[in-house]
Formats: sequence, structure tokens, C-alpha cells
Amino acid sequence: MTETDLTAYRQWATTPLQETPTYSVVIPAYNEEWRIIPTIGAIATHMCTLGKPWEMIVADDGSTDSTAQLVEDLELANLTLLRAKANGGKGSAVRRGIFESKGEVVLFADADQSTPIEQFGDLLAKLDDGYDVVVGSRAAVGADVASKSLSRTIFSFGLKTLVQTLFRIPVSDTQCGFKMFTADAAKLLFSRQVIDEFSFDLEILFLAKKFGLQTTEVPVTWIDAPGSKVDAAKVAVEFVKDLVAIRRNDHSGVYDKVNHDMSTSANLASTDSDSTDSDSSTSANSIPPASGQRAA
Amino acid sequence: MNIITTVSEVELQGRFDAHEAEAFRELADNALQNSADLRVVLTAVDFVDSTALAELVRAMKRCREAGGDLTLVKPSAPVRVILELTKLDAAFTIV
Repeated sequence: MTETDLTAYRQWATTPLQETPTYSVVIPAYNEEWRIIPTIGAIATHMCTLGKPWEMIVADDGSTDSTAQLVEDLELANLTLLRAKANGGKGSAVRRGIFESKGEVVLFADADQSTPIEQFGDLLAKLDDGYDVVVGSRAAVGADVASKSLSRTIFSFGLKTLVQTLFRIPVSDTQCGFKMFTADAAKLLFSRQVIDEFSFDLEILFLAKKFGLQTTEVPVTWIDAPGSKVDAAKVAVEFVKDLVAIRRNDHSGVYDKVNHDMSTSANLASTDSDSTDSDSSTSANSIPPASGQRAA
Repeated sequence: MNIITTVSEVELQGRFDAHEAEAFRELADNALQNSADLRVVLTAVDFVDSTALAELVRAMKRCREAGGDLTLVKPSAPVRVILELTKLDAAFTIV
């Protein structure tokens, strides 16, 4: 990384994009005041080395700490902050971020930088190969997983076995918080999503299979960041319930209709309504909408 | 008796995060026994988290209390940006 890269970052940090971004990076955040700033710094610096216009969207999920304020105070020209009045679940935060995104390619990445952003290019190469959805995987051959706790290791193995047996989804790690989509795929999938909690990733991948989207995984380096909010025992119970719910939803036709409308979400956002989707009300530094695109 | 003051230098590589904080603290404390000045080379560090930043601040305070200083040497672009975003670039001596 060179001085040129720093110059590119400074340009991105201070000058709003005049063109539609090629890439959007969505970071869901709930009570991340301790971790969010270094993650933003690392992601911003790396993304600015790629030479394409890009935007960052931090979708706060009703944090009760100073996460949202810290992000807003950065005053980065191409960072949009979405606020929520209440904690709606990671799935709702990612959805709000996806709906706000304008890039041709959308990545959502966890706020703890547990999957280093330097792997963006590895996932992008798969999109270039024609895939619609590319999943960072800690279980694929070649993955490098550091400092993962025993409980998470056992939990992950259990999930993998269950998911592959019941759903035959073509990835070995449904839960890694590093997933890339084409814009069309992302907006289709998140418009049909109904699960907002831990299992939302699984539902999204189930929907990708249901709608015939090409999905693959890429082995990633992953570092277990201290302070993880995942309670393995509690989440395991919820996950099994959600597996059943996904099947039931599918059989009853829930996924055959739009469950979250982008335009409705955007409109409600500007009116600062109380529903979960509508809480995306504050945009610290919005990119001017390109021709034909909706306003932030 | 002659007292010879030397500057200790620590070079870090890779990811400097909470997992490495304890090792860094031990390294810094040992170095401070020889000198109140500590140079931390961050050229090959690609990420620092908040815990790592806190350790750097702690080491800086210890250096200054001992009459010296902690200098961050050639931080990589991501580390420099993280220092700027946290406004710690103003607190540290960076060369």
C-alpha cells in the first residue's frame, strides 16, 4: 500500500461520488462502539486501492451505545449511516443496507473485521465468473480460521451438518458475515426475506437456491474477534426453529411474494416511521442519487 | 558511572489486535526497562483494533512518564487511516 492509496482514500473521504458506485459495502452494527472505527478505517483504505467508485453503508441496528454517533462524527463523504430506533436483528440491518446500496456489487461484512476486507477480490473474482452469490467460508478447503472457540467450532459443525442434510445448499458455511451479491440478486433475496435474526443468512441462501441463483463459496481467513455477541447454545435452539420455519414458509408460499418493498422502505425511511424497515432514517452523508435511482 | 540511553525498537507484522495485546504489552514493558524511548514499526501491520490502540496509548504514557516517548514508525496506510479516524494521530509521534 502506497502514498497513492492514501491519496485515493483522502479523495473518497472528502469528496462525494459524482457517479454511481461500482461497489457497495454494507456493515451491520449493533453496539459496536469499541470496534467500528478501526473496521471502517481498514475497509475504506483497502476499497480505495481498487480504483473503482464505491460506497460504504453502516446500518446501525438500534445500538444503545455510541456506535451511530461515532460513525456520524467521522463525516466521511461516501459513508451513509442508517439509524434504527430499535434493535431489529442483524437480518433487518443488512436488508436496510442492501436496499440503500447503489453499487453493481454488494458485500456485507461484519463490523468486527473478523474476515479481513483484503479478501474482497477473491469473492469478486467468482462474481466475474458468473455467480450471483458468493459466500466467504470458514469451512471450505483452504480456509484459515484463527482463535475460534471450542463452542463455536462444535456449533459450526452442527449447523453445517444440519443445513447440508436438510437444505442441500451448496456452501459449507452459511453463517460467515462476509457475503457478496450482484445488486439484482441482493435486492431479490432481501425483498423475500422474513427472518431477521441469526438465521437470516441461511434463509437468504435457501432463497438463492429456490430462485435458481448461482451460488458458490470462497475459503477465507477468519479471526475470531473477542467480544463476539454469539451465544452458541441460545442461537443453536433458535437456528433449529428457523430451519423448520423456513421449510414451513416455503410450503405456505411466503417466499413467493415480496415481503419487503424497496421503494416502500425508502419512502418510509424519509418519514421516520416506527416500523423496523422504516427506521433507516438518518443518512450522515448520502451520495447524490444517480439518474433513475431512488433518493436516499 | 556512565548511563547510556538506547532507543528500543519493536517491529510488528500482520494483524495487531486483542489476541496480540498481551504479548505486545510484555514486549513493551521489557523494552522500557532499557530505555524510556520506544519505536514501534508498523509498516507491515495491516490492521489495528481498539485493544491494540489502547495498548499503544498505554505504552506511550509509560514512555512519557519515564521522560521518553513512543514513536510510531512508518505506519501502513490502513493503520494511518485508523489513527486519523480515531484522532490518535495527534497524540502519537509518527515518523
